[in-house]
Amino acid sequence: MIHLLKTSFHEGLLNIREKLGSFLVTLLMVSLSFMVFDIFLVVSWNVGTVLSNEQENVGIELFLNEDVTEVEAVNLADLISVMEGVRSVYYVSSLEAEAVFRADLPEQADLLILLGPQFHLPSSIQISLRPDYRASEKVSGLARTVSGMDGVKDVVYGQEYLPGLTRTVDMMGKLVILAGLVLAISLSLVVANTVRLAVVKRAPTVEIMSIVGAPGWFVRMPFLGEGLITGIAGSAGSLLLTGVISSILSSSIPHDFLPGKWILLVLLLGAASGAAGSWMGMRSGIPKPRS
Amino acid sequence: MLISFQNVSRFYDKWPALENIELTVESGEFLVLSGPSGAGKTTLFRLIWMGDFPTSGVVEVSGYRSDRIRKGDLSNLRRKLGIVFQDFRLLSERTVFDNVALPLQVAGSSPRAVRKRVFSLLAEIELSHRRSSYPHELSGGEQQRVAIARAMVAHPVILLADEPTGNLDPDVSKQVIELLLEINRTGTTVILATHDPRQIPAGTARYLYLDKGHLANPVSWDGYNQL
Repeated sequence: MIHLLKTSFHEGLLNIREKLGSFLVTLLMVSLSFMVFDIFLVVSWNVGTVLSNEQENVGIELFLNEDVTEVEAVNLADLISVMEGVRSVYYVSSLEAEAVFRADLPEQADLLILLGPQFHLPSSIQISLRPDYRASEKVSGLARTVSGMDGVKDVVYGQEYLPGLTRTVDMMGKLVILAGLVLAISLSLVVANTVRLAVVKRAPTVEIMSIVGAPGWFVRMPFLGEGLITGIAGSAGSLLLTGVISSILSSSIPHDFLPGKWILLVLLLGAASGAAGSWMGMRSGIPKPRS
Repeated sequence: MLISFQNVSRFYDKWPALENIELTVESGEFLVLSGPSGAGKTTLFRLIWMGDFPTSGVVEVSGYRSDRIRKGDLSNLRRKLGIVFQDFRLLSERTVFDNVALPLQVAGSSPRAVRKRVFSLLAEIELSHRRSSYPHELSGGEQQRVAIARAMVAHPVILLADEPTGNLDPDVSKQVIELLLEINRTGTTVILATHDPRQIPAGTARYLYLDKGHLANPVSWDGYNQL
């Protein structure tokens, strides 16, 4: 079996060596096609990171009535902290709110003096949410619930931008998947065509191998190997090219390159496209034993 | 019985390449199959190595039946056969050694066993000195001997030779026929398709005549009475 596998591997190398020129052209085509995808991924990754950071800040702020005492506010915070989707709560007293206002907006601190000593900023409860609760509908649902609680004057949770942010994040994810699928199909067709040409070119060899008793897998494996190598090497080449471009542009457009998991995903997509392409090419290229 | 054709017909569309063939071949036989071009000789060979299947009837070869054989068993059947073609069908990008070694390599033999067997066989057919040559560097006779060596390298039980002398001059043809007779003497069943059955010495073979897809009695055909 080991000898058979070795021979099959040797046949695969022969396949590639016999048509090195067309193999390299295919490799370049696959690399360039993947490069478009890689660049799209880099952009998506960076935009996604910005959006994720924004989502990270998604939370709910409850402003309390002036007559709510500190004890009542703490009790309310305790009650909210055990609600589904809530990660943590933080009570901000009126005094703390004023201190934050002065620290954050020092140029407008005079406003508080102008409004007089009887004016106080409202105390509030800041609710931090679990990651899976940061989507628009869940946040608004929770906001509705807490807005009906005793002592709550107003609820703020980014109603204006949150639906758009959630939609954008969802759309980005779907776009990446869609682009991946489209690219996988188109690359499979490129590889399939190459393998089909290889099969046609090697038809006499394939026929002789079949006649002398080569098992079906032995005949097919070199073509499958060729497809896999094309897919993996093509996607690796594209990552290399994209990496070079990314490092050149990083000084003028600060950004991150793809994380390890995404790189692995691109390589796997390349392997899958190559294997699928080989399979399609062999199906239409290798003659069936029964006629 | 090594091979049997049980009422076998093979139609391509409505044209009968073979019709109602009844045939048995015993182990160790030398069978000469003759007939004009398009008589169905090659189709009969294809049915034996199961590169094609009957439209009706059953072909049985070394225990494998055409109506029951599984895809995975085709390679097992073909390893029991050696096949020689008129146009040699050597792989042009491989050396003589690699061409002859192919059936052993695809059967998973170790490189050492392959080398031993191929060198020994090339020595028998006096082509050791050509082992590194490519097919296009050989004469027609040498190419056919290489093709026969490839067919014999895995010790087949049946050797199918489809017009092996069709492209060779008379002297070289005689050498090839001698080689086939020698192979038969070692116990291998040989089936030879030829336009000219007189190449085979009388009394050494059984003769069959195919005409328009039907087996006929060769004695009734002019020129074969002496057989």
